[in-house]
Amino acid sequence: MRKLLGLTLSFLLLVSQMWAQTKEVSGKVTDAKDGSPLVGATIKVKGSSRATTTATDGSFKISFTGNSAILQVSSVGFEQKEIAVTGGEISVSLEVSTTSLNEVFVVGYGTKIKRDITGSVTKVGAKELNNTPVTSFESALQGRAAGVQITQQNGKLGQGINIRIRGSASVSAGNEPLYVVDGIPLITTNLSSNGAQTNPLTDINTNDIESIEILKDASAAAIYGSRASNGVVLITTKRGKAGKSKIEFGYMTGLQTPTNKMEFMNAQEYVEYTRLAAAAAKRIDPSFDYVAFNEGRLQRYSAGNTDYQTYKVNTDWQEEAFQRAPISQYDLNFSGGNDRTTFYMGGQFLDQTGIIVRNSFKRYNGRINVDQKLNSWLNVGMNMSFARSQNNRVSNDNAFSTPLQIVALSPITPLIDPRTGLTSGALDLATGRPNTNFPVYYNPILSVENAKYTTLTNRTLGNFYGNVTIAKGLVFRSEFGIDQLNQNEESYNGKLTARNLGVPSGAGFNSTDQILNYNTNNFLRYFNTFNEKHDVDVVAGMSFQEYKLTSNSASGEQFPSDAFKKIASAASKTDAQSSETQFAFLSYFARANYKFNDRYLLALSGRYDGSSRFGANNRYGFFPAASVGWILSEENFMQSIKWVSFLKLKASYGLTGNAEIGNFASRGLFSGDAGYGAIPGTRPTQLANPNLKWETTASTDIGIETGLFNNRLVIEADVYLRNTKDLLLSVEVPGTSGFASQIQNKGKLENKGIEFTITSENFVTKNFKWSTSVNFGLNRNKITDLAGQELGTGQNRAREGQPLGVFVAREFAGADPATGDAIYYVNTLKADGTRDRTTTNDYNAAEEVVIGNPNPKFIYGMRNTLSYKGLDLEVLLQGVYGNNLYYGGGQYMSASGSNGYDNQTRDQLNSWKKAGDITNVPEARLFLANGVDPSSRYIADGSFLRVKSVTLGYNLPQSITSKIKIERARVYFRAQNLFTFTKYGGWDPEVNADYQVSNINQGVDFYSAPQIKAIVFGINIGL
Amino acid sequence: MKKSIYKLLFFTLVVSTVGCNKRLDVTPAQSIDQADALKTSADVQVALVGSYTQLGALNFYGGRMFVMSELLADHNELIWSGTFQQLTQMYNKAVPVNSTFVSNTWLAGYTAINTANNVLSAIGVVDAANKNKYEGEAKFLRAAAYFELVKLYAKDWSNGNPANNDGVPLVLTPTREITEADKVPRAKVSAVYTQIIADLVDAEAKLPSANGFFATKNAAAALLARVYLQKRDYANARDAANRVITSNRYTLAGTYAEAFPYNGGNPFGNTSEDIFAMQVTTNSGVNDFQTFFSADGRGDITIANEHLSLYEANDERLDMFYVSGGSVYNGKNDNVYGNVHTIRLAEMYLIRAEANFRLVTVVGATPLSDINRIRNRAGLGSKLTLTLDEILLERKLELAFEGFNLSDIKRLGIVTGYFTGGGGLAATSTKLVLPIPERERRVNPNLTQNDGY
Repeated sequence: MRKLLGLTLSFLLLVSQMWAQTKEVSGKVTDAKDGSPLVGATIKVKGSSRATTTATDGSFKISFTGNSAILQVSSVGFEQKEIAVTGGEISVSLEVSTTSLNEVFVVGYGTKIKRDITGSVTKVGAKELNNTPVTSFESALQGRAAGVQITQQNGKLGQGINIRIRGSASVSAGNEPLYVVDGIPLITTNLSSNGAQTNPLTDINTNDIESIEILKDASAAAIYGSRASNGVVLITTKRGKAGKSKIEFGYMTGLQTPTNKMEFMNAQEYVEYTRLAAAAAKRIDPSFDYVAFNEGRLQRYSAGNTDYQTYKVNTDWQEEAFQRAPISQYDLNFSGGNDRTTFYMGGQFLDQTGIIVRNSFKRYNGRINVDQKLNSWLNVGMNMSFARSQNNRVSNDNAFSTPLQIVALSPITPLIDPRTGLTSGALDLATGRPNTNFPVYYNPILSVENAKYTTLTNRTLGNFYGNVTIAKGLVFRSEFGIDQLNQNEESYNGKLTARNLGVPSGAGFNSTDQILNYNTNNFLRYFNTFNEKHDVDVVAGMSFQEYKLTSNSASGEQFPSDAFKKIASAASKTDAQSSETQFAFLSYFARANYKFNDRYLLALSGRYDGSSRFGANNRYGFFPAASVGWILSEENFMQSIKWVSFLKLKASYGLTGNAEIGNFASRGLFSGDAGYGAIPGTRPTQLANPNLKWETTASTDIGIETGLFNNRLVIEADVYLRNTKDLLLSVEVPGTSGFASQIQNKGKLENKGIEFTITSENFVTKNFKWSTSVNFGLNRNKITDLAGQELGTGQNRAREGQPLGVFVAREFAGADPATGDAIYYVNTLKADGTRDRTTTNDYNAAEEVVIGNPNPKFIYGMRNTLSYKGLDLEVLLQGVYGNNLYYGGGQYMSASGSNGYDNQTRDQLNSWKKAGDITNVPEARLFLANGVDPSSRYIADGSFLRVKSVTLGYNLPQSITSKIKIERARVYFRAQNLFTFTKYGGWDPEVNADYQVSNINQGVDFYSAPQIKAIVFGINIGL
Repeated sequence: MKKSIYKLLFFTLVVSTVGCNKRLDVTPAQSIDQADALKTSADVQVALVGSYTQLGALNFYGGRMFVMSELLADHNELIWSGTFQQLTQMYNKAVPVNSTFVSNTWLAGYTAINTANNVLSAIGVVDAANKNKYEGEAKFLRAAAYFELVKLYAKDWSNGNPANNDGVPLVLTPTREITEADKVPRAKVSAVYTQIIADLVDAEAKLPSANGFFATKNAAAALLARVYLQKRDYANARDAANRVITSNRYTLAGTYAEAFPYNGGNPFGNTSEDIFAMQVTTNSGVNDFQTFFSADGRGDITIANEHLSLYEANDERLDMFYVSGGSVYNGKNDNVYGNVHTIRLAEMYLIRAEANFRLVTVVGATPLSDINRIRNRAGLGSKLTLTLDEILLERKLELAFEGFNLSDIKRLGIVTGYFTGGGGLAATSTKLVLPIPERERRVNPNLTQNDGY
């Protein structure tokens, strides 16, 4: 590091400048659209290093050598213009850019013009993100970036979201990208206590975001070293611009509904079906009178009366899981500044009711970003934001109390028990306590009325920076940032929830987590142009991050009454915990970009990363990357091809790491948590592995970027290969050792794929504009080496030679036409390598085979924007194709009534009834599980195409706005998740059962709430 | 000016680099390194306590293992209506090799064994006053775990030749790292029993008579009685049971209900007849019987009339059953924080009676007086004569739904449902033996699978 710094400095001193006769030109740069001055536009003398920027009124002054020169005038978001000058005064008006080639991209520890980037970076700007009616910004990214798959686990608010950039690179370590906000790596620790993840990124106000850059290949990401294998998401917040101060007010409000509902049996169908199932069971097992038993049970679930015989009560329980769900969001922000100080201040209030009962979310955000030019060599700035959110949550998908499990209740069960006049299940007159076996399961409505689970989060995210201009082209930047997260979770389950809770007199829980994550970046940047042809840009520095989580929690039982909800009133304090964990990263990084003659690009980068997580024998790792680019369109031989406006070829190779394992995974540990009968105890909890280190991913990326027909058609395409080795694998060990698994560096996997984005300006006229952008990402994931083992619980597996998370189970062959038995393909491997395709009704006799893949074949998005005068329309389609889902709830709700009294989906009416019936639904046999074991019976096609977002907006013309003394006004209608086209029969194909989601467990649906469809009306007013 | 900036920069970088490097040495706050875990007598003592916790884990003596065995052994006395597939499979006698309950119980057993092995490996550092006691306790715990494993995952002693039948792998040293040597094959059933008996004999010799709720000399003898009974070694079973009874340290609770105290959802210590019970408090331990049997729990298991009709009309043990919402529940474990009553004195009387009866001896007492003692406590009159079936029925009713049914059926060689009219599975049915977990066979190819899987 010191060596590098020294080199850079001496290099600087060697440079000598030649001065010749100079002339001066001054002028003003304006926006061609409305003639307003453009602040901060760059004016560069072509072929020299001279450049300046415009002041707050758009004016500039620049000198050049010789008699004439060509000025290159550029500004972010505008087309660059070249103007020949000989001196004097000029005025330049810039057109809004229709291409993004000159856009500034934020990359790690600096920025780059898109044209000069040799890595693979996708940018999504404020315009696309703002005013999306979603809880967290990742949802607003869905369908907008090629190769970035974003899956919300379900439709609960503020719950987990999974992002995979170019596929999954790890089996047991993390697969989520690194998030960096204004230079600070973000806390993404899930602190939820109820078994379902929450999403810590929800604390960020989407409307504060200026841009999101997604670093996808090694060349772009290697500067983040051991945490870059899953890609890096850089979030840049809005800053003020010198010029007129702006006041912006935004309001949106609307209603949300589930994207889909399912069809369940009604009372008559249910009664008839269970009778059919009971008769069949009695036929098979005459030792028990299932028929009489069934009538008894039906009477029980019919609140103890015979109403079920006339289907008098016909409750649609599914409807009771949903509620009217309004959403409102209020934004107010101020920005502006002068040539020394700029500021942005923003505040937001989001008030969102969930589509499922008990679920709501409120969030307050505030932010201030200030930049100050103190003198000629020192700029300082500070960003500070806070967020407070309150999430009223429901239980995880696997709990009887989660609202959607209500569909298991019988349609013959009334909402209100006529015997008591209370909610069914609330009171058993015989015991004076809640019913223990009526309705068939615990009634989740009792939790709606008697339970509460609140997650309160306070978060402060801030950083301070200083920029020291040491010499021309040599800048030192120091940043110090903190991300502080305090979370409190509190729950109380009242006495009427006893059946769900298992304790009779109420239970309270309270937990507090505090995370302090601080980070400092210190780096030098040197940039210069030599002999008009050699552009050099070097960054080198160090970074240190420390993270500490302290947690405590308490729980109590035996409350005097439900009026007392705090643990202070619990007669029995059942548990108390406090714990602490931490990690640290110390890193050195450097990047050098070299451009020759504006067309040959070279970038080298590397990071030397040390982490407290790695074993004592492997504490530091080095992650280098190199990339090259060639802008062919600058070459003389391309000049004659007029329809090619821009053409760049690029290639990169590099290594990145993955350090997302437990903080102490390398150690052999004894834990002190094995107390017994109030006497302290210890137990071995982890086997040692002092050689443990990071996973390494070697990535190769080859890409092309081209602009055709004056950049009306821009095509970007990449092919990539990512090979991961030394997987941080949770390796199964023989259970006889007393351990189930150990983290070892074993195994390999690969991701390869292609990505492209095509942007076309279909129509560009004065009044009518239409552009289309299509993105496409195809990824093939394959585990090439898993040290001979297979990992995974449930149906998802990590298996050698297969993509991560493939579904493995017996292959279902439908109902035996002769007997109605569920039958399975035997599928044992025969000597000739083929599988035995005969069928059996013995589940154990059939072999488990791969029955599906939760990874999509490809994902895509398509965005159309149209504008006509003041009207604008954006339509965004999002698609996922070729993945499978495992319909885990099917073993209960689509089980041909053979798993008990769960109400069944209507498709089960099609069960086998008599010899000769050809059907995929085996005979209904009460309690005699017929085909409910995991099998391909519950595999479904998860492909979908969604009309993700439709926005119709109208900008009020100036003739009106000026009359009411405002600068701008816009009204819009926006629909999120408007239509979904899918063959999937469950609630929604975008699903990942929240209680069990992991790298391997993907694409399982288990009573998971459907996604949210939102239709809002909004208004934005600018003063 | 600029020079001083450079100096400042260098200084900052050097200082921060050196300072930061040290900060990479982060140690866990809730755990200690295994190398530091067993250095002193006190260290070994806390690890020993941890072994009890491991034995009492949910999937083992915490009760799930017993619930599984009751469902597997049942013919028509229980009604299962729960949603845990793995238990439905037990109830239907169709257990797949990949059942997670099957692998969890296996893992829980060996986790307890490994913790006990850790204690035994460090017994050398224990001070003289405690050395025997700790060694005895660890061996008791290890023997208890092996006994349950060999009963669940292997053929019963009486089923074929135990010297030829595969038992379970015997691991007697702690595991600190994983090597090929950890792919341990199954020891024969007889070898496992030999190890269990050796551990228990040693434990009985070394343990004190009084040791709080931890294992005692009598707990070791009581478990030994159970082990000998299972291998039909009636003389040794009788003598071991007799040693426990004649120690006079335990008395039958005044009423049957008092042996299963319900304390309004609060923890309750051992009863006067608990020889060994897994301690459950609000902070540690778990009683999984409560989860499945109690109407206050999931209430997934209800009791059929076929069982209830086995009792005499005025049997106070019937009072343990209660009706809720039209179904009959077993109330032995209604207390969510109730201890898991692993070995009760009543069992010792029943073992002594059965063994004396079979051997036609009267060690300690006559079979009739032992059985009448049990009957009288249940509010029943004394019998004047006795048959073996009557002793076995008394045993069945006294120990009903406490996890004895499966091993008794196998030991006695009777069909499931024998007492309620028969018609069930044969004692040697392969369906009554759990499979070796598929997961284990995947990582350890030296493990053979049980017949029928």
